[in-house]
This record gives sequence, C-alpha cells and structure tokens, in this order.
Amino acid sequence: MMCEDCGIRPAKFHLMTIINGDRVERNLCPSCMARHQKQIPGIDFTNLAGILNSILESRGNDEQEQIDAEAQSCVCEQCGMTYVEFQKCGMLGCANCYQAFKTPLTSLLQRVHGNTQHAGRVPGGAHNGTSIRMNIDRLKQKLQRAVADEEYEQAARLRDAIRALNMQLERKDADIKVRPHERITTDGEGEANDNV
Amino acid sequence: MYEYVLAPEQDVVISSRVRLSRNYEDLPFSPKLTHEYAEEVIERTADAVFKTESGAAFTLLRMGELEEDARSRLVEHHLISYDLLKFVNRSAAMVSSAGTVTVMLNEEDHVRIQGLLPGLQLERSAEMALKLDEALGAQYPFAFDHQWGFLTACPANTGTGLRASVILHLPAISASGQMGAVMQTVAKLGLTIRGLYGEGSEAQGNLYQLSNQATLGRSEEDVIRALSAASGQIVEHERGMREETEKKDMLQLQDRLMRSWGELMYARLMTAKEFMRRYSDIRYAASMGYLHAPLPGLDTLMMDVQPGSLGVRAGKLISPRESEILRAKTLREELTKLVAE
Repeated sequence: MMCEDCGIRPAKFHLMTIINGDRVERNLCPSCMARHQKQIPGIDFTNLAGILNSILESRGNDEQEQIDAEAQSCVCEQCGMTYVEFQKCGMLGCANCYQAFKTPLTSLLQRVHGNTQHAGRVPGGAHNGTSIRMNIDRLKQKLQRAVADEEYEQAARLRDAIRALNMQLERKDADIKVRPHERITTDGEGEANDNV
Repeated sequence: MYEYVLAPEQDVVISSRVRLSRNYEDLPFSPKLTHEYAEEVIERTADAVFKTESGAAFTLLRMGELEEDARSRLVEHHLISYDLLKFVNRSAAMVSSAGTVTVMLNEEDHVRIQGLLPGLQLERSAEMALKLDEALGAQYPFAFDHQWGFLTACPANTGTGLRASVILHLPAISASGQMGAVMQTVAKLGLTIRGLYGEGSEAQGNLYQLSNQATLGRSEEDVIRALSAASGQIVEHERGMREETEKKDMLQLQDRLMRSWGELMYARLMTAKEFMRRYSDIRYAASMGYLHAPLPGLDTLMMDVQPGSLGVRAGKLISPRESEILRAKTLREELTKLVAE
C-alpha cells in the first residue's frame, strides 16, 4: 500500500484522527507521518497511553496556556464576571458570559464534552427532526459566509457540524428504534445494531 | 394472593429520572443572582407552570419555609436534589401531586425540570420533562445559543442541559465482584455509574446510579437511547448473575436473604446503614419469588425510613436513638402490611 499523502513511498503507519466525532483514517509513509507528528507536537506514536497523555499535555502546554493567559483579562460587560472568577467558582454569571469568554470556553467545552456544536432541541417546542433541519439550514448559511470570507478553519468546523447533524437526521428518518434489551454496538452513540 | 403491577424492569431498575437545566436569558445566573432576581425566577416560573395544562396539580414549596426534616424528606424521595438545599434562602420547588414531575428553582440553574418514574422508563420521563420545558420556554424565553444550545451556569451542562439517570439494584453483580468491570464498560459509552448512598466505593443497599456525562453534541433522543440500551444490558447481566447464584445453591441464597427478613421483622433498633443492607436482601428475595412482597411497596418504604422522612413521620425533632427505634417500629408495621396485602 502506498502513502495516501505523497503517493510515492510505501505506507508504514496508520493514523486515525477523530475531531468532533468525525473520524479520518490515513495510511502514511514515515516521512509524511513525521510531518503530521510535527502538527501534534510531543506525541509518542509508539505507545497508546503515551498518545493520550501527550494529547492532553500538548494542549495543556502550548495552545491551552496561551488561551488561558489571554482569558485572564476577559470580563463580561453584562454581569461583571471575570474569567478568573469563573475559574474559581466554575459557574458563569449570565448568558452573555458565553460570548465574553468564547475562546477559552470553546476549548474547555471541547475537553469536557468532546464537542462544541449543540445537536439537540431548539426552543419553541419544535420537534427534534424539525429543529435539526433548522440547525442545518442555519449552519449552511454560516458556511457560505465563512467560505466567502476565506475563513477556512471555521468553514471546516461548520462542515463537520453539518455532517454530524445530517447523520442524526438520517438515523431519525430511518426510524430506527432500539429496544432497551438489545445490545448496543461499539461506540455508545446509541446507534442501532444489526438485529433491529 | 395479592396482585400489583410492576413497571418495566422493576426487578432491577428502581427508577428513571430526566433533568433539564434551563436559565432565563434576561436574568443573571446563580453566582450573580441577587435576592430580587431569585424572587423573579420563582414568580415567573410559578406563573408559567400554573398556566400550563396540568398546572393545577403543582404546589409551590419555598425551601426556607420548610422544616429541615421536610426538606430532607423531599431529597430522600428524589423529588429535589440535595444541592437545592445549598441555597435554602432563595430556592423553591414545584412538585406535582403524583410526584412524577418537579421543577426546582434557583438551584445551580434558574430552572431544573425533572421527570421521575419507577422502573426503566427513560423515554417517558424525558417526554414529561420536555413537554413542560416547551410550555415554560414558550412563556418566558430560556437562554439559548445555536452553537452551544441551552446555556447553563456550569458549562458542563450546556447543550441539551439534559441529565438522565437510572437507579439500579445490583446485589448479584456486586457480590460477584464485577462492579469494577461494569464501571469501566459504561465509561467507554460516555456514561458514569456510582453508588447512590454511601461514599467512595461503598454503595449502600447495592444501589447504583447510572447517568450520562456529556450534554453537548448529542441529541436528547440519542442520549436517552444510549442510556436505556446500557441499562437494559446491565439488567440482563444482573438477572443472569441472580439465576447463576440460585443455581449454585438455592437454599443457601434463600437462607442468607431471608435472615434479613427476620431481622427486619423483629429488630427493635435499626440504623439506616444496617437497614440498607437488609433492604437489599429482601428486595433481592422478593424479585426471586422467595418473599411475596410487592417491589414498589418495598421501594417506597425504603425512602420512608430514611432519617428526614422518619422525622416528618414523628412530627418533631428526634434523636438518633429515637430514629433507630422509630425505624424498627415502622418497618415491623409496614412490612407486615405489605405481605398481608
């Protein structure tokens, strides 16, 4: 098998990344693997526990530290809550704090929930299927704007969120029902299994 | 012979609960909530709840106006959370007459809507809570963001704001020493399981609470489905272990469990801790058919002899020893009634 990145050297590594529940798998040669390795610094690819630890630590070390440092001066104009205060008590002061502390919170929510995009109901009593469609439409508009503004990172995030919502909608449309007794499959997403 | 209706999987699942966390978009959250704003939360929510279809069935209870035992009794019957009592001066609860729906006010979030049913009935519990959520949200808007969902005081609840949990009675799995393996397995599914009473690894009465961890990125239906499916598997495992234990030496199992029945029927002093151990045994015995006592009645009695509920029963402040005496007496009387039914 050839490397999926360069296509010229034989693949020796299998790299799997999961971002917002979206799994990407690549077969890579040592040289392309090294390039990926640089993007995720400090990861020991030879040891599974090492990989997990270094992911946590690498976020902790560089990016996270910078985000935290910048957040120290954040104040919510609405309620006067500072980010430092939030770190102490673990609770936000008002709805606007979510905007005031958006950057550090995004990183925090990613760590806590493994996700940064709501996929449930919206207010107003709409049924879930409807609310998912509304969410998709809204995100598609955002995606178009992001592409037009050449904000590709944001666009990629939106694309992932739309894909996740579409998958949910498909599951719903297929009207899959899991009876409580049946085995759940691998990943705990509550997906239907083969026996249904 | 008496007859009674069992809720789904009630031989193993005691109850299913779904809680939704909501906050009003225009009022400050818990850390910045002044007395005036807290009062506004209570007035607003009471107004909205009373206006709903089933509004007449709700009673507003201000925690500050209740005796300590009465407050504990609500916690022991799982109608409110223990955390609601951290804010006694400002917190309140609206309790439905059937006890199946409760709205907690000014806990960590402005509003926490709870649906609670016996046995494994997460879907129905969720339906009840979500129906009230829609009715309330339509009257006074809740804080919501399209990326982050329903905004909560603590970011760990943001998104759906939904925490679903089931209380499981797992005497056979616990006795086999397999709880550690069960805990590891559910963690892989994004769920968490812990002892309901007791601290650390101790789970009094072999009662465990299984609940979801993340609230952001998965729909309400997905979370409920995953938790129901995991609960169903644990139920099957527990049943299998019970049968296996019986197969090994039925007489020994019966002897061990029924001795607890003897203790409960004749003891004159009963501590809460000992009671939980005996209760687990007789519940186990009843589920195996060794003892003809209705499980719903046993579960209600279990809550009724917890310290706060006993205080309410006594109608006055009682000492720990008086509490042990009253517990033993209540158990003798109520268990006699239960088996006579």
